[in-house]
Amino acid sequence: MKPVLVIGGGIAGIQASLDLADRGINVHLVEKTPSIGGVMAQLDKTFPTMDCSICILAPKMIECLRHHNITIHTQSEVIGLQGNVGDFFVKVLEHPRSVDAKKCTGCGLCSEKCPVKRPSDFQAGLGQRKAIYLAFPQAVPLTATIDRDACLWFTKGVCKTCEKICPANAVNYEQIENTIDLNVSSIIVATGFEQYNPKGIGEYGYGRYKNVLTALEFERLVCASGPTSGILNRPSDGGIAHNIAFIQCVGSRTQTNGYSYCSSSCCMYATKEAVLIKEHEPSSHVTIYYMDLRTFGKGFQGFVDRAQSYWGVKYVRGRPGEIIEDPNTKNLTILYENTEVGKVEKDLVDMVILCTAAVPHRDNEKLSSVLDLRLDEFGFFDTKDPITAPIETNMQGIYVCGSCHGPRDIPESVAEASATAAKSAEDEFRFMVNK
Amino acid sequence: MKVAFYPGCTIQTDQIGYEASVRNIMPKLNTELIDMEGASCCGFSPFSSFNEAAWYYSSARNMAIAERMNLPMLTLCNGCHLSFTETKHVLTKDQVMKAKINEKISREGLIYSGCLELIHVFELFHDKLGEDKIKHVVTKPLTGLKFGAHPGCHAIRPSKLIRPDDSENPKKLDEMIQWLGAETMDYPGKIDCCGSSLASTSGKTVMEMAGEKLKNVKNLGLDGLVTTCPFCFKIFDNRQRAIQSVIRDTSIEIPVFYYTQLLGLAIGLKPEILGLDLNQSPIDAVISRIGGL
Repeated sequence: MKPVLVIGGGIAGIQASLDLADRGINVHLVEKTPSIGGVMAQLDKTFPTMDCSICILAPKMIECLRHHNITIHTQSEVIGLQGNVGDFFVKVLEHPRSVDAKKCTGCGLCSEKCPVKRPSDFQAGLGQRKAIYLAFPQAVPLTATIDRDACLWFTKGVCKTCEKICPANAVNYEQIENTIDLNVSSIIVATGFEQYNPKGIGEYGYGRYKNVLTALEFERLVCASGPTSGILNRPSDGGIAHNIAFIQCVGSRTQTNGYSYCSSSCCMYATKEAVLIKEHEPSSHVTIYYMDLRTFGKGFQGFVDRAQSYWGVKYVRGRPGEIIEDPNTKNLTILYENTEVGKVEKDLVDMVILCTAAVPHRDNEKLSSVLDLRLDEFGFFDTKDPITAPIETNMQGIYVCGSCHGPRDIPESVAEASATAAKSAEDEFRFMVNK
Repeated sequence: MKVAFYPGCTIQTDQIGYEASVRNIMPKLNTELIDMEGASCCGFSPFSSFNEAAWYYSSARNMAIAERMNLPMLTLCNGCHLSFTETKHVLTKDQVMKAKINEKISREGLIYSGCLELIHVFELFHDKLGEDKIKHVVTKPLTGLKFGAHPGCHAIRPSKLIRPDDSENPKKLDEMIQWLGAETMDYPGKIDCCGSSLASTSGKTVMEMAGEKLKNVKNLGLDGLVTTCPFCFKIFDNRQRAIQSVIRDTSIEIPVFYYTQLLGLAIGLKPEILGLDLNQSPIDAVISRIGGL
């Protein structure tokens, strides 16, 4: 039997890999960043159950690492494809970590001593990491990596502190990139999405006003493993935010700046984050400015009802037109039309969270040309048929799951991941039986 | 640099201080203003709401005069600049209207082709002359002063037409003021309308809108408000007493300047030739701090 290639190590890629591996099929899991986990690893809680996100995800990540049938390739990307279903030849480029994965114990001493600081991707830019770093505490594999663009040895030829300090002698500046060839029966694409950059909507002042954050930034702020250990210190002065507003549909459902589709998970994650604020401090004021509340999933409406009735989260139907910052206090005034009463109103708040749309990943175009996949009008991967073949693509034997082919929440991504695993397993037996 | 000079009617009938300041600073900046023979109103305010053809005719006719001079056209007023930009935009698409207008203006021997380069005040000072040339002529830097910039709506909106600055975060006027040695600060409502387009229908609303802005400027302790638009200036400067009485707040005493007046002071020109004696807001303290009095 031939292995299956899974591209992308977020929750969808992890679930697909585990399903296949548990059926006895070998899997190569290719992930571009230094650790698997994806966006779900950055989330504080999940809706509608308010489970700890990393507590659900970390066991699955560890299972991937320990599973005999799964080989994880981090800091890697797919650069070439030939062949057909049942007999694909894939080229994978592994970028050098500059740390020997077999020796590194993940003790973190190197990052402690490293003198170079860079914004941390995991903390959505709110916190800092070093030039040699572990992506996050639960990273899989728990191996340090060197950011060669930041490292003093690679940029200026000095330092080498990490090599001297490493008790396991794991640092290896000589590592080079490595191409591996894989022969696989089918491919699952689970490369996920990225966040819309709200700088495109100038009236909300993101990037100019310190106390305007994206929802993913807020997710790190409210998280116990975040830059403030979960205390809601607003960025301008570190004061605790008590009056917080969420703005929905930032970059989605618009005909001007952004995308026309519904981003699908924002009504729910805003409600989740609103409830988190109330759990932290019940006397906080939380307002969600929405266009329509789209609570279509199992248990979703009940979750919103409880946010309103039990926690007292305020929902206002209206799309704010402008945010104005007070230059002295850095408090923010939101101007909006309350369309339930037809009045133009304003509110003064400490902090604004922009619920930004999930948008196609910038690398989709590159990957689609490597794999010969079609993209849809927005830049997501296109599927063969939206109704009867929602996870199949124009290429037989290549499947898509999760938010790489449109915005999705976690339950839907996981369900799709299992579906692609079933399809891949079917290919395995249909095309491989005599080989 | 030579430009066809289009001051516009508001400035020529009402805001002659602005025109004086422009005419007197330009020689220092090696820019020659050539007057446009036979120029008229751009047509924006009198016609745009009820007779589009008359509006496009007025705008295109003036642009045709500048085209005949074979020079780029400098407009001082935000409204005129938008009027010309919009007319250009429309006539590029609407060839029937363009032919109709050309038929009318051909009686005066004019042709509108649409090739004219329009120059807004921001574009002249910020993009064409630029930081180095302006800093080079400044002899009396406005050190220690802090102004609020008021770009005015028509300089930044509608964002779908090409405007001289960003519609949500305009910075050019701020930078131009900073090149004179002063500081600037973003104040709440910086991009809000002065209200002047409502002047003929609801005077009270105008005063309230403008009053809100002046209050914000006052609360931040800024030394004054700077603009380049004659309509905005009329409201904030000429009507400041009226604003005080409508919003019942006599503590609002905000000096208001045209950018070109400040530039003139910074290059050492006398206040008289910059039209500063026509400003009605309390500007004397600022001028003496610059050392102009």
